[in-house]
Amino acid sequence: MLEIAQFGAGRIGQIHASNIAAMKDVRLRYVVDVNAEAAAKLAARYGAKVAAEREAFADRAVGAVLIASSTDTHARLAIDAARAGKAIFCEKPIDLSLEKVDACLREVKKARVPMFVGFNRRFDPSFRALKSRIDKGAIGAVEQVVITSRDPGLPPLEYLKVSGGQFRDMTIHDFDMARWLLGEEPVEVYAIGEALVDPKLKALGDIDSAMILLRTKSDKLCHINNSRRASYGYDQRIEVLGAKGMLRAGNKTPTTVERADAAAVASDKPLHFFLERYADAYRAELDAFVSALRRKQKMPVGAEDGRQALVLAEAALKSLQTGGPVRVR
Amino acid sequence: MIHFALFGAGRIGRMHAENLARRSDAKLLYVVDTKPAAAKALAVPLGARQADAATVFSDPQVQAVLIASSTGSHAELSIAAARAGKAIFCEKPVDLTMAKTELCIREVERAGVPMFVGFNRRFDPSFRALKARLDAGEIGRLEQVLITNRDPGLPDLRFLRTSGGLYLDFTIHDFDMARWLLGEEPVEVFAWGAVLVDKRVKTVGKDIDSAMLLLRTATGKMCHINNTRRAVYGYDQRIEVLGEKGMLRAENLAPTTVEQFGAAAACADNPWPNFQTRYAAAYAAEVGSFIQSVERREPAEVGPRDGRQVLVLAEAARESSRSGKPVKIKN
Repeated sequence: MLEIAQFGAGRIGQIHASNIAAMKDVRLRYVVDVNAEAAAKLAARYGAKVAAEREAFADRAVGAVLIASSTDTHARLAIDAARAGKAIFCEKPIDLSLEKVDACLREVKKARVPMFVGFNRRFDPSFRALKSRIDKGAIGAVEQVVITSRDPGLPPLEYLKVSGGQFRDMTIHDFDMARWLLGEEPVEVYAIGEALVDPKLKALGDIDSAMILLRTKSDKLCHINNSRRASYGYDQRIEVLGAKGMLRAGNKTPTTVERADAAAVASDKPLHFFLERYADAYRAELDAFVSALRRKQKMPVGAEDGRQALVLAEAALKSLQTGGPVRVR
Repeated sequence: MIHFALFGAGRIGRMHAENLARRSDAKLLYVVDTKPAAAKALAVPLGARQADAATVFSDPQVQAVLIASSTGSHAELSIAAARAGKAIFCEKPVDLTMAKTELCIREVERAGVPMFVGFNRRFDPSFRALKARLDAGEIGRLEQVLITNRDPGLPDLRFLRTSGGLYLDFTIHDFDMARWLLGEEPVEVFAWGAVLVDKRVKTVGKDIDSAMLLLRTATGKMCHINNTRRAVYGYDQRIEVLGEKGMLRAENLAPTTVEQFGAAAACADNPWPNFQTRYAAAYAAEVGSFIQSVERREPAEVGPRDGRQVLVLAEAARESSRSGKPVKIKN
């Protein structure tokens, strides 16, 4: 039985807790949250206990921690978990600053504990099938990747203020997908971005719309397009062109019902947002984490992946600020 | 009824000739080609005659010329047609050089003849409907445009050397689509080119075969173009525009809508294999638009200044690809 201490009882924490509860031989032992009421409510639902941080780390029965608290606590909690010898599942991003990410990675490496970073999209069944078909050579050598990633609506300004900006907060997922699909590291990033949805974001120094190009050493090309507001839903698509063909994964819809009437043929909009769209992916990533732990295998998405995605986000930000492409080491 | 003379009896010339033959408001009088036999073979079955350029320009019966000869002759023939007072339908591009393009525009404007440049994609029924719905405000203010333009296979490598390169020969269509859909001029172009399909494209063709580009307008609208010379599944022609109230997309068209469901997979037709098939309706419609503008004495829907503007963008892309930096456009 793997006993898990979970940090964070918010929206994403609730998803993870319910997924833990559904797994065999895994138990949610503790819920830790600064909001005692939320922690108590979530713990009660799954037969867990509310605990303080120190208590969770000190309990030798705890084999792994799941960090789903606010972003600014991820690195600190991951470091404490590493020092306590716990395996770590950490929500993305590890931190908004590369310095803190590197400090975290050092401690994790020193403690030799496994660390998984929650880039959930790699575990979406469609994206995963697409990737495995690339790897099997279904389209030959990869030449171009196009990633469409659009949120259904602007988050609250209060959130945006502490989000780290669009590239670190939102595009970070796409940078991870780009690395994963390209199969090699991007060496150069060019980004353009604007506050087209809400000009108020300009005052925050942020953007809500962006187009990005990435290039790898062997000249594979990747395009990412982002918007914080696609009125028709959460738009999540991938397209990969190779020497022998193209692979595409489109949006998922709640149902496949189509209505044809005098005006048009209409079908469902894409699933509304990440909790719905990536429900399968959240389940599968936790499975992958637990399975790698049990088999003592390398984590399929590790701390180093979390770092590389942030390196690309920072390069994109620098490109946006300087107006030119930025080389990535 | 507009009386035409056609220059160029090659692949694209034949298509235009056949489109003219199907129309009740047009009549093809002459076909001119550097190979008179080819001109004759095309002209005679359509009830036209083979002729030389001088005959065409001096015949007052000829009201319009359709220039579908090799690219290097477009500007020269357009200038001669303008001086002879003929309306001009010219295949894209007007010329590969800015100097000759501008000279041509000056002569055409001085002569006051209408000139249409054959950016056929604007006349594709799907792209046209998309544009009309964009203009009607269906998705509100436009924010992003994505253009996918992929050829089915590499052309002759020797052709590449004289083609002007990917941006001038191929992406030029996308630059026109980008300007048309964005509804404002790009102010900056960034382009990455690559040789991914075949190394000989570089060694023999002195060109690239793959590219990704970003364009930006003064109000911050963004556009992405992706190109390859070889998409094994067919001629891939798609457009997607994102606006504040939604998205409009135009997907590929296929010869049939038949789907086969088997034990291994569900399969549908590949997209049309080439531009002749994919844009058959567009080629037929563009000449219709030209004829209508001549008859009504209205400006051509796509004129030589559009032809010039895409050349500016193509040259900027070439410069960006060379320098690795974005290039500003002076409008």
